Amino acid sequence: MLPTRSRTDAAVDRFDWLSVAFLLGAVLLCYYLVPLFSLVAAQPPGAVLDRLRTPVVVSAATTSLTAALASAAVATAFGLPLAYWLARTDGRVETLVTAVVLLPLVLPPIVSGMVLLTVVGPGTLLGGLAAAGGVSLTRSFAGVVLAQTFVASPFVVVTAKAAFEGVDRSLEYASRSLGKSRLATFRRVTLPLAWPGILAGITLAFARAIGEFGATIMLAYYPRTMPVQIWVSFTTLGLENAFPVAVILVGVAVATLIVLDALGTNPLE
Amino acid sequence: MLELTALSKSYAGFEFGPVDLAVGSEVLSVLGPSGSGKTTLLSLIAGTVRPDAGSISLDGRPLDGRSVEERRTGLVFQDGALFPHMTARENVAYGATDPGRVEELAALLEIADLLDRRPPTLSGGERQRVALARTLAADPDALLLDEPLSSLDAPIRRRLRGELRSLFASLDVPVVYVTHDQRTATAVGDRLAVFRDGVVEQVGSPSAVLDRPESRFVARFTGNENLFEATVARRSGGATAVRIGEVALRTTDDDVADGDAVTACIHPSRVRLRDPDDPGAGDPADRAAPHGDNTLPGTVGHWLNEGTEYRVAVDVEGAPLTLTATVRPPTFERLAIDPGTEVRIVVPPASVHLIRGPSG
Repeated sequence: MLPTRSRTDAAVDRFDWLSVAFLLGAVLLCYYLVPLFSLVAAQPPGAVLDRLRTPVVVSAATTSLTAALASAAVATAFGLPLAYWLARTDGRVETLVTAVVLLPLVLPPIVSGMVLLTVVGPGTLLGGLAAAGGVSLTRSFAGVVLAQTFVASPFVVVTAKAAFEGVDRSLEYASRSLGKSRLATFRRVTLPLAWPGILAGITLAFARAIGEFGATIMLAYYPRTMPVQIWVSFTTLGLENAFPVAVILVGVAVATLIVLDALGTNPLE
Repeated sequence: MLELTALSKSYAGFEFGPVDLAVGSEVLSVLGPSGSGKTTLLSLIAGTVRPDAGSISLDGRPLDGRSVEERRTGLVFQDGALFPHMTARENVAYGATDPGRVEELAALLEIADLLDRRPPTLSGGERQRVALARTLAADPDALLLDEPLSSLDAPIRRRLRGELRSLFASLDVPVVYVTHDQRTATAVGDRLAVFRDGVVEQVGSPSAVLDRPESRFVARFTGNENLFEATVARRSGGATAVRIGEVALRTTDDDVADGDAVTACIHPSRVRLRDPDDPGAGDPADRAAPHGDNTLPGTVGHWLNEGTEYRVAVDVEGAPLTLTATVRPPTFERLAIDPGTEVRIVVPPASVHLIRGPSG
C-alpha cells in the first residue's frame, strides 16, 4: 500500500498565493489603465471634436488610415505566401527564415528607418530610379507605406504561419488524394480553416502600422501620419495640443482588441 | 493491379525497403508494430512521400514522379481527416466524380441521416463511414487505409470490420489495409503482409501466416507465444519428431533433416486441454489424423481471462516446458481450470510447425 497523505496542507490554507499573485499583477494593471483613463478624462469631448476638425488632424488621420490599410494589404500579399511556405517547410531553413522575419520586430523602429533610408533614400540606386520614374520613396505616401510595411508585416507572417500550422497536413493530403490540386486544396481547405488566424494577423499588422512612428519619421516626415502629428504638436504647441490625436489612436487600439476578440483567435493570448 | 518494385526510402534512423508487392483486386492487410514502415508504405503509394528508389504502378500506369492528386489512390486516415468546416455531405461531395454518388454511398454506408452534420458532432465510427464514403465518391483506382478502426471502441470496431469486409469484396480495386491489430488484419484481408523494420517479413493468406509463420517475429506478432528451440530427433516412415528438451513431439512438418536445429511453433489456439481421466475424449478428426495426437500430462500454472476466451499456461509434467493454450469458456468451466489443475495437453502433429533455424 502506498502511504496516504492529507491533501490539505495547513500552510496553503492559511496563505492564498493566488490572491497575492493577482494583487501584485493588479499594480501593473493600474499602471496600464490609470494613465489611459486620465488621458481620456482630461480631454473635454468638445475640445477633442474641435481639434479633430482642424485640417492638419484630418489630413494626418486620412494619411494614417489609408497608409495603414495599404501596408496591411502589402504585408498580406507578400506575407501570406511566405507564411504558408514556412508552415510547410521543416528544418534549418525554416528556423533561419523565421528569424529574419522576426528581425523588424526586435529592431528599434528608428533604426529600421535608418536601414530603409540606405536602400530607398534619396541618392540611393533604388531611390534614384523611383524618383526618375516620378515616385519619391521618401517624404511621400509611398515612404509612409514602406516604413509601416517594414515594421508591421512580421505580424502577418508570424500569425498566419501559426494559423497554417494549425491546419492538419493530413487534411491537405486527403484533399489532394481526392484529385484536387495544391491550389484548389489551399483555397478550399487550408485557407478557410486558417482564416480567423490570418485575419488576426492582418488586424495586428494594421494596428502596428497605424501607430508606427520611428521608421516613419525617418522615411517620411511628410505627409504627416497621426503619430508624427502628435510629436509635432507636442514639440511646437505643448502636450495639451497633442492629446486629442492621441485619443483617436487609443480608440483605434481598443477597436483592434475588440476585433481580435471577436475573431476568437487572439494570437497575443 | 498495384505493383511495387524494389521500393525503398531512407530516413534518419529508419530504412524502408526494398519492398516488392503486387496487389490485385483484393484486400492486402499490412500488419506490423509501430515503426515497421506500414505508414511509409501508404505514403509512398499515395505520393505524399517520394521514394529513393524503386517504382510503383497502378493498372499498368506508372505512378513514379506523379503528384498526389494525379494518382487516383484514395487514402483513408486513422482519424478520418474530414474537413471540419464542411458538413458530411460537403465532405463526401468534395471529390465526387458524379454528384449522384453522394446519396448512393450515403445509403451504402448508412450515413444518410448524418449528411447535414459537421464532423465534430459525429462519433468516431460515423466519421470513418463518412471518410470512407468521401474516398469512394472520388472513384479511386486503389484504396489505401491507414488504421481506420484503431481509434474506435471494440464493439464498433468489430461491427465495422465485418462491414468493411463485405464492402471491400464489392469493390473491384486493390485495397491496402494497414493495421497493427492482428484480428482486424486477418478479418478484412484476403492476404496478409507482415512488416518488420521496413521490409516484408512474410506474405500469404491469413491462415497460412498464422499457422505457418516463417520467423519467430511473425509468430510472436500474430499472438503465438509457444516458440521453443528444438532439434529434429527422429525421422522414420514419414513421421517426424522434434525434441524440446526432454519432450518429444510428432509433427507433420517434414521438410527438415535429422539433427536440424529448429524452432517449434504451436499456436495457442491449436493446443487443446482435456480432462486427464477422460482418455477417450478427443475430436474424431484427431483420431483420423495420420499420426496420433501428441498428448502430455500437465498442470495449470496461471490463466488470464481475455473476454471471449481464456489464455491458460500449462506446465508440462517432468519438463521445464510451459505451453500456452487458448480455451473457450465451456471447456474452461468443465475442466474447472485453476492454478494446480491437472490436465492432459493435446497437440495435433499438424499444429507443430517448424521454423528453420533456432532463432530469427
